Amino acid sequence: MKLQGKRAADIVGQVILWVILIVALLIFSVPFLFMITNSFEEFSYVLPYPPKLIPTRLNFDAYVHIIQMPIFPTAVFNSIVNTVLAVVCSVLISTLSAYGFAKIQFPGREMIFKIYLFTLMMPGFLNIIPQFIVLKGIQLPWMSGGSLVGTRAGLILVYVATNVCGHTFFLRSFFRGLPNSLSESVRLDGGGEGTIFFRVMLPLSAPAIGTMTIFAFQGFWEEYFTAKVLVGANESMLTLPLLLQRLNGQYATRWEWVFAASILALIPTVLLFIITQKKMVVGGLTQGSVKG
Amino acid sequence: MNKTVLLKRGAKQWLAALPFVLPGLILVTMFILYPMVFTLRIALSEYKIVQGEITFIGLQNFVNVLSGGSKFWYALRNNFLYALVTVPVITLGGMFFAYLINNLRHGQGIFRVGFYLPVITSWVIVSLVFQYMFNSSDRGLINYVLVDVLHLVDNYIPWLLREWTGNAAIWLMGIWKNMGWAMLIFLGGLQGIPHELYEAAELDGAGLWARFWNVTVPSLKPVTFYVIVNMIIGSFNVFIQVMMLTGGGPNGKTSTLQYLLYDKAFNQFQFGEASAIGLVSAVTIVAITALLNKRLQLDTDGEEAT
Repeated sequence: MKLQGKRAADIVGQVILWVILIVALLIFSVPFLFMITNSFEEFSYVLPYPPKLIPTRLNFDAYVHIIQMPIFPTAVFNSIVNTVLAVVCSVLISTLSAYGFAKIQFPGREMIFKIYLFTLMMPGFLNIIPQFIVLKGIQLPWMSGGSLVGTRAGLILVYVATNVCGHTFFLRSFFRGLPNSLSESVRLDGGGEGTIFFRVMLPLSAPAIGTMTIFAFQGFWEEYFTAKVLVGANESMLTLPLLLQRLNGQYATRWEWVFAASILALIPTVLLFIITQKKMVVGGLTQGSVKG
Repeated sequence: MNKTVLLKRGAKQWLAALPFVLPGLILVTMFILYPMVFTLRIALSEYKIVQGEITFIGLQNFVNVLSGGSKFWYALRNNFLYALVTVPVITLGGMFFAYLINNLRHGQGIFRVGFYLPVITSWVIVSLVFQYMFNSSDRGLINYVLVDVLHLVDNYIPWLLREWTGNAAIWLMGIWKNMGWAMLIFLGGLQGIPHELYEAAELDGAGLWARFWNVTVPSLKPVTFYVIVNMIIGSFNVFIQVMMLTGGGPNGKTSTLQYLLYDKAFNQFQFGEASAIGLVSAVTIVAITALLNKRLQLDTDGEEAT
């Protein structure tokens, strides 16, 4: 009897949880629902009354319009290439760097790491003007006359650089959590830091690196401000966030285009998150960073 | 050990560490540290970007910013208000939903993804949606619901054109966008709490609420600190929302330091004053974080050696 009562209470508890969470999620979803619904509508010069929240029709004209825009493939291509290159470079450099700060003892290590931490507190786009100037100053022989401003290489360089500190911080706490005994045994076998890194540390920290890769992807994919300042003047370097902002400016009342483009831009990140969310490790994000 | 031995050992250690830390160090120096020093210099100078002339003028930029009308003070106030309003809501809300989701037996994934979607949606997209929802006329969703459906208000509100409703829209967007992030971090923290603690509390007859208050909340202290610090730093990075929702209007009353910085630098080309604003914003964040560290008696583990 007692056990049954407990089970019943348990089921009631689960039902209450579901009800609260579903109601909350519905409220949370309003902006998305609004976006999806209105991407199926057709707007003229005035906004419709009443505003629609629930879709009444399925009409993909706006999506077709966006995909057929001559600039759309350019924006997709740039967004993909920029994001992939920035993610690969930034994860590679940050992983190496995090390992160095976590497991190799060298003079000034804590000092430099503290400086890294300090930069994380600074408002990021404070640096955009000097970054612009640094890029302008880099003129390599094979670039005829130009500088790195307005180029993909310049943008990616700044993307990677602005993420090194944060990513190093994130991964360092994972490396620190790995036992030293493993590296000791490699050292006894005559292996160097390189062997330890590639054979022991990298495989063990794969989940953390994977999680960071997903976060990095999301960050670069949606990045607007740096791209606007560094490559905004170069039409061939247009990215999806820049395209969205432009659509909004040019066709102030054609919300179906703006929303259709927004949804298209969202698909990759959402899919990536749904596929990987089960394997993400965020627990370690706070371990080692802060102690209670 | 004498000096040369120490030096030799140091050099050897650096040699071992260099392949790992050097690439990052070069990039950080070039694109973060040097720009920070440069910003400091510009803040103390009159900078003509076209001619490339930098003239030292002392604290004149700061004087100009602080005495140049009320815009700066509104912006500073709004950063603080943004933190005061959004950080508690995001932290408590994130903790609350994480706790509920963590207690679900089935379907955790649905809610985890659902609440996290706003986080992975770009600020630009979110701003666009909010811009339309908060439209001044009966065509905006919020006005339509409040006036025509619920009859709570008599007149349509020009949300984004007024001081307090504009700020409220900016806060609401910040809360909506970030709560899922806090939820995910708390969920990670919750999964790290040993089960025995709950079982012990249950044996003592603690209900769902008592267990939450006596077991969960104290165990989550470090995670909570992490969330709060991150959200406060975020509160001093409020930019795209302001640019796309209100443009700082009316008269800078919904502006933030970051929007003011942007406006000064890229609309008025006053790089000196923009850098001065940036420094004020930076110093504020560092001060708040240090204060929090002290008050909550937590430190980062930077000093510990491995």
